[in-house]
Amino acid sequence: MRTLTVALNTYREAVRDKILYVLLFFAGATILASKALGYISMGQDVKIIADISLAAISIFGALIAIFVGTNLVYKEIDKRTIYTILSQPMWRYEFVLGKYLGLAMLIGTTTGLMGFGAAAYLWILGGAVNAAYFEALFLIYCKLLLVTGLSVLMSTITSPILGAIIVLTAYFLGHATGILLELPGHFDGTLSKQALEAAYYVVPNLGNFDIWREYANGVAVPHSYVAWAAAYGAIYTVMLLFFAAVAFQDKDV
Amino acid sequence: MGAKTIAIETCELHKVYRKHLGRKGKPTLAGLNLQIFENEIYGFLGKNGAGKTTTIKMLCGLMKPDSGSARILGQKVPSRDARKLVGYLPENPYFYEYLTPKETLTFYGRLRGLSAKERAREWDRLSLDLDLRDIADQRVRGFSKGMRQRLGFAVALVGNPPIVILDEPMSGLDPMGRRRIRDLIVRLRDEKKTVFFSSHVLSDVELISDRVGMLVNGRLHRQGVMDDLLATRVQLVEVVARGLEPHVAQEIARTAFRTRHSEESDHFSFSDMDQANAAAAEVLAHGARLIEFSPVRESLEDYFVREQVQVEVGV
Ligand SMILES: Nc1ncnc2c1ncn2[C@@H]1O[C@H](COP(=O)(O)OP(=O)(O)OP(=O)(O)O)[C@@H](O)[C@H]1O
Ligand SMILES: [Mg+2]
Repeated sequence: MRTLTVALNTYREAVRDKILYVLLFFAGATILASKALGYISMGQDVKIIADISLAAISIFGALIAIFVGTNLVYKEIDKRTIYTILSQPMWRYEFVLGKYLGLAMLIGTTTGLMGFGAAAYLWILGGAVNAAYFEALFLIYCKLLLVTGLSVLMSTITSPILGAIIVLTAYFLGHATGILLELPGHFDGTLSKQALEAAYYVVPNLGNFDIWREYANGVAVPHSYVAWAAAYGAIYTVMLLFFAAVAFQDKDV
Repeated sequence: MGAKTIAIETCELHKVYRKHLGRKGKPTLAGLNLQIFENEIYGFLGKNGAGKTTTIKMLCGLMKPDSGSARILGQKVPSRDARKLVGYLPENPYFYEYLTPKETLTFYGRLRGLSAKERAREWDRLSLDLDLRDIADQRVRGFSKGMRQRLGFAVALVGNPPIVILDEPMSGLDPMGRRRIRDLIVRLRDEKKTVFFSSHVLSDVELISDRVGMLVNGRLHRQGVMDDLLATRVQLVEVVARGLEPHVAQEIARTAFRTRHSEESDHFSFSDMDQANAAAAEVLAHGARLIEFSPVRESLEDYFVREQVQVEVGV
């Protein structure tokens, strides 16, 4: 109940954030512009449009998660609205969770909007909008929930700028976890090699959530894979939120 | 009078804020012990930076002491059970700018776990007490200091907590606003609540507090019942007489440290109560009229400044 109160209020506040509309505008523009690229690669236009649209939903969704998320708790401390909230008979984890859920709801809304918009666009252009499309969209949302979790964690421990840099870095590394193991051989056994290897196991493999290319190319992805990827995301997200709650528990505000 | 119940108690609170790079500064609290009784108004004094806000934040669960402990009505701080008992008005309260007072109270009512019916009742009660009805549906964004303070008060009182902690509730308010807050604080005591508040407006503190405590160098430097602290320090007694023969007036003037003669009356100021009494007897014995006999006691402000200066020069 208290968590939900905070969540609804966070949603209400985030909806007013201008950066949200800027990002949504660019996402929409990218999806519409994808048709132009479709012409270039002759005869492939629907495939390209599907590919670019879902990539845009993923990237702009992540930007929303990062730029709104890393501000979330920090802003309450900075603007001192937090004093009258944490002094209420609520647990601190309820506050962190409420903030997270509010943003998760918002990202659900934007992903839904962009996803259904892109679906309508694809359908008009003769593309196949089927279960696979919505599975791809669903896993993008799972990925965004994870990125939101990391952003909220950062916002409990550091400033929005540093937080955004860290999450962006993690985001790019997460899409290219393979490179962490690709240090040339003569680095074997060195500290940097070990550090990168450790990072490989800590940084979530965000590529696991990207099945839109398969959808665009009409390659079937088994439902069991979708379920596995969703569970993978859920475990990471729960861990990140746990760390956020722990970091926030004893913080002086 | 039976033993008083303790509402708020702190035991050896210590706090050092870390400066840049983790270096320690001067301790803000260095073993603060406080005991606030139930159903009293306690004024918490100390100059800027003394650590009043720090103490209050600890009591409200926003900050942890480095060492030491505190209890509120027996519940250890910080804890959810303790927070249930406390209503808190921060120094310069901030609320969500895009909400209206009505929405704000709904939000805090929910956090306090009030049902929709209770929330509606709280709104009726508090919007009336704090005069929020005219601005019920305006966004907080454009609010003046006084409006924010009133809303802050309403938030502190939502759910009717027995302990009310106020950080500078009168700062920045106009005389009307200050009076309203004073009346409200006194009414809270009538409702059997305990009020712990910090303030720099010592004339207001003096008017309403049962006891005051003064924080100096991170500890409680002085504490006491207001009347005891100030009554022992009668600074001067004003005696005004009418119809005195000039030679009697001159006689009396010899013991006074200041005399002023106007067309109809003689004003004498004495630094000593016995001398003032003798002068009054003299006035009456000569068949003149005594129109004023008023001991002027030290104000809380005089007391505060004197104590602070003493500490600083190391007396
Ligand atoms: N978050 C903080 N970080 C570092 N130092 C702080 C912090 N908050 C307070 N201080 C320092 O602790 C001391 C006490 O501050 P505090 O706000 O408790 O004083 P105060 O008695 O409320 O003062 P005022 O009357 O001006 O409100 C000050 O020296 C202040 O600089
Ligand atoms: Mg203060």
